[in-house]
Amino acid sequence: MDKKARILIIEDDSKLSDQLKQLLEAAEFDISQSFNGEQGLLMAMKAHFDLILLDVALPEKNGYAVLKTLRQSRTTPVMMLTAHGAEEERITGLRNGADDYLSKPFNLTELLLRIEAILRRSLPQTRPEGNLARLTRAGLQIDKDKQQVMFDGKKVTFTPIQFKLLWTLMQHPNQTLSKPALYQLVLEREFSRYDRSLDMHMSRVRRKLTAAGMPADRLQTVHGTGYLLL
Amino acid sequence: MKRRLLWKLSAIIVAGTVLLFWLIHILVNKTEQHMSFIDEAHQQTLHHYAAKAEQLYLNGDKAGLKDWLQTLRDKEDTWVAVVQPEIQTIAGSVLSEDFKQRFRLGRSIDWKIHLYFKTNPVMDLIFADGRTHFLITLPQRMRPGTYWLETNLLLQIALPMLLMAMISIIIYRHVMSPLRQLERATQQFSQGNFDVRLRNSLGARNDEITALAETFDGMAERIGNLIQSQRHLTSDLSHELRTPLTRIELALNWAEQHSPNSEPLRRIREECQQMRNLVEDTLSLAWLENEQPELQTDELDLTDLIDSIVDDARFEFPEHRIELKLPEHALLTHSSDRALGHAIENIIRNALTHTPEGGTVTVSLRSVAQQYRIDIDDQGPGIAAKYLDDIFKPFFRLGRASRHQYHGFGIGLSLAKRQVEAVGGKLKASNIQTKGLRMTISLPAPVAAN
Repeated sequence: MDKKARILIIEDDSKLSDQLKQLLEAAEFDISQSFNGEQGLLMAMKAHFDLILLDVALPEKNGYAVLKTLRQSRTTPVMMLTAHGAEEERITGLRNGADDYLSKPFNLTELLLRIEAILRRSLPQTRPEGNLARLTRAGLQIDKDKQQVMFDGKKVTFTPIQFKLLWTLMQHPNQTLSKPALYQLVLEREFSRYDRSLDMHMSRVRRKLTAAGMPADRLQTVHGTGYLLL
Repeated sequence: MKRRLLWKLSAIIVAGTVLLFWLIHILVNKTEQHMSFIDEAHQQTLHHYAAKAEQLYLNGDKAGLKDWLQTLRDKEDTWVAVVQPEIQTIAGSVLSEDFKQRFRLGRSIDWKIHLYFKTNPVMDLIFADGRTHFLITLPQRMRPGTYWLETNLLLQIALPMLLMAMISIIIYRHVMSPLRQLERATQQFSQGNFDVRLRNSLGARNDEITALAETFDGMAERIGNLIQSQRHLTSDLSHELRTPLTRIELALNWAEQHSPNSEPLRRIREECQQMRNLVEDTLSLAWLENEQPELQTDELDLTDLIDSIVDDARFEFPEHRIELKLPEHALLTHSSDRALGHAIENIIRNALTHTPEGGTVTVSLRSVAQQYRIDIDDQGPGIAAKYLDDIFKPFFRLGRASRHQYHGFGIGLSLAKRQVEAVGGKLKASNIQTKGLRMTISLPAPVAAN
């Protein structure tokens, strides 16, 4: 990226806000801070941001109210940071209309993966092999038009989602794709920490390919991050 | 006034019973009277007979009269006569005018017939001359009160039954309608509506039942408050713990950037992760128990779910072996991959924690009689049979001797049990004969799966 992505942090806990600023600046983001909802809203209206990190429990004007007002005139991606009701989000995946939801506590790795996924979605897509209909790699051959997967000349049956998952991994070989990014690209929804859908699809893809004779370690789990196809 | 309900019930029963008797008495009397008179048409017939007899008598046609009387006897199957009585006074008695005017040999046809007499009365129709009487024993077909027996039974048995039943209904409704409201309120309360109150909906009544309603309201108020404050505590605790935990995690990230590969930081990271798990599991358990959410909405393949969990577990416990026995497919409907996944994850992690390094944890999935059965066997020391149920209680601790081996029950298994139950399954613990603990999850399989 030529230009640093601009992120606005609206968080009333100044220590947490400062920590976030420090860590995200180290990760090459341009950070602005606001410590209350009203002021944060003004900043979000005046300047352009690529992403807003919005705390839910703000004094006076809470996060949802800020989001509602902001949405009337801006489409800036917003990630809500929440401590309340996270149990429900964790188990049912309930959301409240934000672009993404990150429940506290979280660590930097989780935060960066989510930010990356959101920015990937809102920034113009750059896909080197975007127009190709067929991808081939060490015995693995997949055809987008026919929705067909072959390994060493043998046909392997895939469901549409499994195919999309493998296609996405094939587009970025030797490159770890984070779970939040894969959720966006394949399942077209946000990643939530306890969601196992992607993992289950991945298990099935790996099972099928291994049965067809592919070495199991070619499709690797990068624990804590995502998946990698060699 | 004490015992208002008693007084009310007594009043209803006493007033109702008295009213009932009175009503029946009047009705029976009136009906009997009404039914005692000879029917108008029959009266006309009798008049007609008398007129015919009088005409024949006045014409001096004695033979004709005799024949006609015989015909009438045969026709009506009764006794008929035309007589001229002569009254002889004895011992200087004098007949009063009143007596002479009202003297009769039988009953006038507009008089009541006593229904309780078995035999029919003789009817007396006097000719215009005032001294010749046409007498006829009332023919059976003209006897009034044909349905008197049935009517009497109806009035004396069916009517009181009906009325008593009505009184019972009134009493029943009076007592039961508030009790039913109480039942509804109790039901709502047990379903989590802690605002439900009863007293106001019972209106102006004031008796033993409203006293019960007041007691219920008092109880609901107290328990509701208790649960609400506990929930607020949970929610507050949630926020209060989550934010500092986030700060610790971020501070740790910062420290790690400055000195990567530091052993103390690695340990802090590990402890931090444990604390986070504990907080999240505790709050999840509280949430599941408080909200009782609907979790049976997903469709998933158990084989894939267990595969993905074991994949993570192998990474987390590289010194252990995990043996997997899975069918190619195990489709599960009306479930939740998050709840179930988290439960299985916790159980497998627990099994790995209690299996010595180099040991094996076996995870097997079978389909048995409309059920999926997941067995997770560890090679730990097992648990005394009497504690097998207790390990599902939050923060359960075994005695000191075993504490060294089983230090980490915490809340994971309680949550796992609750989560498995939330998707319609069961979680049980048992000891393996050789050595180790077996956790068994049974889940209802969709019908088509077998």
